[in-house]
Amino acid sequence: MSARSAWRALHYSAKRRTIQPTTPYRCFSCTRLTFEQVKPEHERMTHFGFTNVPQSEKESRVGAVFSSVASSYDNMNDLMSLGIHRLWKDHFVRSLNPGTPVANRPADAKDQGWNILDIAGGTGDIAFRMLDHATNINHDLQTRVTISDINADMLAEGRKRSLETPYYNTPRLSFVEANAEHMPHIPDNSVDLYTVVFGIRNFTDKQAALNEAFRVLKPGGVFACMEFSKVENPVFDAVYKRWNFSAIPLIGQVVAGDRDSYQYLVESIERFPSQEEFRGMIQKAGFLIPGKGYENLTGGIAAIHKGIKPVTPA
Amino acid sequence: MVSLQRLPVPRRTISSIQSIRTTRPFHTIHHRPSSSPSTRTTIQIQIQTSKPTPLTSIRPYHSTLHPRPPTHEYTNSQTAILTASLPHIPTHGFTSAALTRGARDAGFLDVSVQLLPRGAFDLVLFWLASRRGLLRGRVEAGDVFGEGAGAAEGLSVEEKLRVLVVERLKMNVDVKGVWQDALAQMSLLGNIPLSLLELHAISNDILTLAGDTAVDSTWYARRMAVAAIYASAEVVMTRDPTPDLLETEAFVRRRFEDKEVLRGKVEGVGSWVGFWGSTAVGVGRSWGLKI
Repeated sequence: MSARSAWRALHYSAKRRTIQPTTPYRCFSCTRLTFEQVKPEHERMTHFGFTNVPQSEKESRVGAVFSSVASSYDNMNDLMSLGIHRLWKDHFVRSLNPGTPVANRPADAKDQGWNILDIAGGTGDIAFRMLDHATNINHDLQTRVTISDINADMLAEGRKRSLETPYYNTPRLSFVEANAEHMPHIPDNSVDLYTVVFGIRNFTDKQAALNEAFRVLKPGGVFACMEFSKVENPVFDAVYKRWNFSAIPLIGQVVAGDRDSYQYLVESIERFPSQEEFRGMIQKAGFLIPGKGYENLTGGIAAIHKGIKPVTPA
Repeated sequence: MVSLQRLPVPRRTISSIQSIRTTRPFHTIHHRPSSSPSTRTTIQIQIQTSKPTPLTSIRPYHSTLHPRPPTHEYTNSQTAILTASLPHIPTHGFTSAALTRGARDAGFLDVSVQLLPRGAFDLVLFWLASRRGLLRGRVEAGDVFGEGAGAAEGLSVEEKLRVLVVERLKMNVDVKGVWQDALAQMSLLGNIPLSLLELHAISNDILTLAGDTAVDSTWYARRMAVAAIYASAEVVMTRDPTPDLLETEAFVRRRFEDKEVLRGKVEGVGSWVGFWGSTAVGVGRSWGLKI
């Protein structure tokens, strides 16, 4: 009896093995294999973590990373940042102060609240915080957020979470699957606030995304970005690097069962430009820089960058 | 003694003095005696190549290395929002609500107040800096002491100081009711350095505009005295019910009298210590001490 069931199991598994998955198998640990795939000589390369990949390939690779981490995203963030990412996000939203307080609204204005575009905000972390702030602090029931993400799995996670918020199925919250470098569905000069939180690091062409942000923002609109950055204190930097390169992939392996995605995460953090360089990129896109242009969080592990689209194009 | 004679002659110091002298003719020093019998003179350093400026715009100091700094360091867009916010201060106070309304008036969006990273404190700083610039402009236009350089010669520096402090305080009449908000903002721990910097700037400007050109050791003391009088008068102003700030003016006058009394005491103590010190040294020397 047992021999028969064992035979059956083997039989079926052998059969199952012959079925090919429709999506190509993507393996991060065997980079040699992926590099053997046909690759045009002249194609432009971009970085993917510490390895260089063709530009056309980065998008799908990043997609694979985030598809694999979508479900465990929040737990992992808590573990990796020791919960500090929640403080950062709260501070980010509070400093932006989304929503117009009722008392400040001019009587004659046909104001419909702010139109906020949250790029790479698939799981809705920032979007729900901003809507909460607008509703509870500023009593603004018209401010609306469009969550845009390139990754359908992350968006699905956000949709699932929005069920538990009061904004589910209201016009205040919408989801769009789009590439932030090219958003033809969003008209020019239509967005008040453009936020991208821990996302721009993964873009293939950051400058193109910044130019697109400049296009969609209304004159006077604000580009706000929170991203990992460079730690300024060398001692703290050494500790932080050690944590990044030793602990985070390990946590990823143990908790999410995916070491390579988190290895990519820390490598992409390392490759992201410093505060000053990124400020230069924002300026290059045409934004005005308020004050110093960035605000360091926790000694520079993350930084908030802001830019304002000038009212009369300079 | 023998080793002393071998000491080298200090030639290097002499040569360095000469090198200073070669660069000296770059500047000339004008001593412009004032038309009044008072002994006050204005020292002005000018570059030879620059054309002589008309008398009315002569400033008591001039330096090419340090051009007059602007009263504030805000960009055009920031200034547009802040300037548009000023009319909203009497009704909304030094708050982000005033900023939001100002931004809207200037053609910006509500979200554009992100241009001002310090929020309401930027409004306070801009108010202080712009009023400071206004005071300077009014003095240079002759609205405070009258037209021309010689018009104010009748007033002593002390009297001019008092007039300027009151003049500056009167610019706050419209925002008197909300000025405590601003004081509260300025007293927050993170804002204290910038507030003190602004207090130094206003006391420095008031002293300069009053014609105080002395650069002796009382430079700090006089700035601190003016700053203390100005800051305390601001607090009194917030509780002053009179429309023309008469009570505050009286308060300022009393404080300047106090300052004179205090200065007399300090100078008295100083001369007493100096006299007995020099006497003691003289007595000691007469006893043969190597002092």
